[in-house]
Amino acid sequence: MYSIEFKNVVKRFGKTEVIKGLNLSIRKGERLILLGSSGCGKSTILRMISGLETITSGELYLNGTLANDMDPGDRGIGMVFQNYALFPHMTVEKNIAYGLRIHRIPEDEIARRVAKAVAILNLDGLESRLPRELSGGQRQRVALARALVKQADFFLLDEPLSNLDAQLRGRARKELVRIHEMYGQTMIYVTHDQIEAMTVGQRIAVINDGRIQMLDTPHEVYRRPANLFVAKFIGSPSMNIFDGRTAAGAMRLNDTEVPLTPGWAEKTGASGAERLLTGVRPEDITLTAEPEAGSVPVEIQYHEDYGSRVGYYFTVNGEEVIAIMRDDVLHGAGHAYWKPDPKTLHFFDAKTESNVGYPAEAAE
Amino acid sequence: MKINSSEIKWHLIFIILVLLLIYPLLFSLSTSFKTMSEAFQSSSLIPGDPTFSAYERVFTTINFVQILSNTFIIATIVTVFKLVTSVFAAYAFVFFHFRGKTALYFLLISTIFIPFTVTMIPNYITLSKVGFVDSIYGVALPQLADATGIFLLRQYMKGIPMSLMEVAELERASHLTRLRTIVVPLIRPAILSIGIIFFINSWNEYVWPAIMIKSEVNYTLSLALQMFVSSEGGTDVPVAMAVATLTMLLPLGLYAVCQKFIIGTFAQSGIKG
Repeated sequence: MYSIEFKNVVKRFGKTEVIKGLNLSIRKGERLILLGSSGCGKSTILRMISGLETITSGELYLNGTLANDMDPGDRGIGMVFQNYALFPHMTVEKNIAYGLRIHRIPEDEIARRVAKAVAILNLDGLESRLPRELSGGQRQRVALARALVKQADFFLLDEPLSNLDAQLRGRARKELVRIHEMYGQTMIYVTHDQIEAMTVGQRIAVINDGRIQMLDTPHEVYRRPANLFVAKFIGSPSMNIFDGRTAAGAMRLNDTEVPLTPGWAEKTGASGAERLLTGVRPEDITLTAEPEAGSVPVEIQYHEDYGSRVGYYFTVNGEEVIAIMRDDVLHGAGHAYWKPDPKTLHFFDAKTESNVGYPAEAAE
Repeated sequence: MKINSSEIKWHLIFIILVLLLIYPLLFSLSTSFKTMSEAFQSSSLIPGDPTFSAYERVFTTINFVQILSNTFIIATIVTVFKLVTSVFAAYAFVFFHFRGKTALYFLLISTIFIPFTVTMIPNYITLSKVGFVDSIYGVALPQLADATGIFLLRQYMKGIPMSLMEVAELERASHLTRLRTIVVPLIRPAILSIGIIFFINSWNEYVWPAIMIKSEVNYTLSLALQMFVSSEGGTDVPVAMAVATLTMLLPLGLYAVCQKFIIGTFAQSGIKG
């Protein structure tokens, strides 16, 4: 039995179809990330779980029970909103205990649960402060505490870290994982930030245009993107994509014919695609100053020094390609050579945009 | 601070306006301390021989305490009921979703533009048929709900972030609980200032009580005032001004204490006070 299960769920706002036939099964106790750019429908999915948004058609099961028409208050949801939604007129303690008091939990039990959450989230000494007297990070932790003391089955977070500065965000990510491991609820986390998705998630659902593009572990999503969208969405800078001009077991990069390994030749041949796009991550490209057997000469047009890394820009088959390397081995612009490593390549059908798969020699 | 010439121009206009507005107040205050003959002879704002005799006559010629309490009871009933109905109606207009909500709201708001003189006679006839003529409750009854209050409170409630209400929804808080624990505490300043405006408006009301009330025992302050300046009551100007001064005291005091809230409420609703 899954903790949360969507079956062909459709959501329309007026005539706009925001969620297009969603099928998603979430395991009990897992940390699932809904990742996508704004307007892709990820928050809508979260709100449908909470019941704050109704379902146009299809079925939603919570712990095996059909929940389409279940009252939001009956679903066992602890939710953290993007703006934290703290009650400005209530102290930290009153905010955290709000739901518990409504449910008429005995005061000593409330005190115990609040004290535990306050201790875990480092809010000691702030209990009698008002939200406006707190920093952004403290507010975020109060919102977390309020969702946690409920000890609900489902812990939903809607972009909980987007209002924090970068440094605080890094710390809050670790804290979220630690808290989840402590409480063990099923956690659904909405974000547009791929670093958050990669670090917090046990599985990531990449969403675009109301559909799940891929649902897998962070590792797989990064290493084995199911389609062009996922490949380009995950990774920064994003994956280089260019027309591989693949034919008869070879690809043509600029004016150089690069033979494919037998496995790749078979995979690309079997895909039946009219045209193939080749993908390679910037950090997977190794450039050398001197030619090697099978390397492709490229012209470096521009380079950027990021401090810890260096980025080189060049053109392959008319597309700009960026290579990110640890050291400035090339000492600026000029001639360079790239020998594509079969393990680092990805091929996509230009028409369907789906990944053609990976041969044995691309295994890690 | 440097003041340029255009600012001086505006300041002059405002000073003249303030003087025009404040003169009647000062006039009634000063006349209430004058003797009858001085009141007619001197137009000076400073009484030559200040006396409390006008105030003594107020308490001996009319039942001032009764009239004060009548006014107070009407204003209190009207204020409390208007606030309660406005809060509930505004809540429904903001947080309930039902068919025809917008149409109903605009219908309601359009009643603000119906002049009082149009509803005055029908209201009188209705109330006379149910035996409410010459009763302070008859004065209060048609004023227990108010579209202006609903409008102002709705504007305020719309400013409450929806996510706060959703937090409560996820806790299965009833609408009454949401109203009590979230909405009312958040818009308390607005409720307070709108309440004061309702109270002062009722306190100052003249035409409607004049229609409804016949016997002196049910008089309100504004009706009592008219006793001393009308053809029947003679022209005891100092007493009339003493009653006027006493009538002004409570609203002015309330406004002085709460002016911050009141101005804030109108500024936030987009209506200039």
